[in-house]
Amino acid sequence: MIRTVAVTLTLLARLAEAVPSASARHVRASLVAETNAIVPGRPLLAGVRLQMDPGWHTYWRNPGDSGLPTRIRWQLPAGFAAGEIRWPYPERFSSGPVVSYGYAEEVLLPVEIAVPASAAGRVRLAARVDWLECQEACLPGKAEVELVLPVRASGAPSAAAPLFADTARRLPVRASAWSVRARMEPGALALRLRPPTGTTLRGAYFYAVTPRVLDYSGPQALAGSGPALRLVLPRDPNGVASPERLVGVLVAETAGGTIALEVNVPVASGAASSASSPSEQEKKR
Amino acid sequence: MKTPLAFLVASLAGAIVAVLPAAALAQAVVGQPAPAFSLPDSNGKTHALADFKGRFAVLEWWNYECPFVRKHYGSGNMQDLQRRWTGKGVVWVTINSSAPGKQGHVNGAKANALMREGGGAATAVLLDHDGKVGRLYGAKTTPHMFVVDPKGILLYAGGIDDKPTTDLADVKVARNYVEAALGEATAGKPVTVTSSQPYGCSVKYGD
Repeated sequence: MIRTVAVTLTLLARLAEAVPSASARHVRASLVAETNAIVPGRPLLAGVRLQMDPGWHTYWRNPGDSGLPTRIRWQLPAGFAAGEIRWPYPERFSSGPVVSYGYAEEVLLPVEIAVPASAAGRVRLAARVDWLECQEACLPGKAEVELVLPVRASGAPSAAAPLFADTARRLPVRASAWSVRARMEPGALALRLRPPTGTTLRGAYFYAVTPRVLDYSGPQALAGSGPALRLVLPRDPNGVASPERLVGVLVAETAGGTIALEVNVPVASGAASSASSPSEQEKKR
Repeated sequence: MKTPLAFLVASLAGAIVAVLPAAALAQAVVGQPAPAFSLPDSNGKTHALADFKGRFAVLEWWNYECPFVRKHYGSGNMQDLQRRWTGKGVVWVTINSSAPGKQGHVNGAKANALMREGGGAATAVLLDHDGKVGRLYGAKTTPHMFVVDPKGILLYAGGIDDKPTTDLADVKVARNYVEAALGEATAGKPVTVTSSQPYGCSVKYGD
């Protein structure tokens, strides 16, 4: 009897750690949480950690020219609810004229889990994760991951807490101190960027979330000087002719470091002189 | 006289080379003439886009080792489209832009063997090993589909359907854009969806 209890305790101790899945070939997925316990009625920050073999990558929410975004399907106890993935800003992978957006080495995809006030005992969080892993060749990957956590009055940082802290620095922030405006021009979409006073913009790259507006393989040119600059983004010639809004992430290189800003702005139409531009012809079709 | 002429020719050649990258960026734009090309097929016969004038043509970018391509060949979806539309007089060319040594690269014999085994029914498999035609069209993924009308105007550019997955089961529930474009265009109707996001593996171009 004592032995059975000991074995059960050992099993529970093991289950409390993230259970990795071995189903993928070059990427390992696991489920982690920022804290070591669930607190009734308080949201839990959990996340899927993907660890890639050297040279391999997985994809951002907009994979760019090729690839697929990673997908998480949660299996949670009654009363629990998962939010959307909080995507860290990605990096670019170029292969000739094909440019993709994703992550190499390691990424944590954080998700906030709503916890009911009635939570008690031990809670099993589980998810099915699907991704596309690519080096040069691509393979679909999937894993069933789970995490068992005790419910307590308060939680302490887990072993994964530093990973959440590092990831938080890569999450786009609301750009309230910045002015960002988008205008459609012939063949290009121009972003007018005005950083807050005292911030010098050295470089910028815009990762579009809105699909089928931009040509990801074309160069993005930062031009101008003074308080406002222009980032000229090449358009997808077969893309959406007149998008109403542009959503994405602006990664700005400043003297103070790299900042990722959430962008969600209306797109002003181009000047009247652009009536004969290819974009206008496209619109008529 | 010879020297200035040679100089002029060299300068012109330089100017043309300088213009090429911009021309390549122009890519294939729906509603405009599809870029002209000429490529050898898996049996050594050359096919030019101009040869297809008077008929609808489909261009399909292909890498047999790509899981997205395997979805459409493994389910029989691609071969079925090829068989039905070539049966109605449409030209269907399957284009391999994988560079030598890269995933999905095939020589003529390999292409023929794969298509025989898999029941492929394209008009021809074209070998674009230097990737020039792929780059000219802005082919990003396998598959990436283009439909050209009998006058050589590009009617459709984009994905094969609206389900960007590697799951074979999705073929049945997907909206197939190539089928729709060919169905409408061959019936004399305007094409409803003229472009979409292509999905798949990146085309394995050489460096």
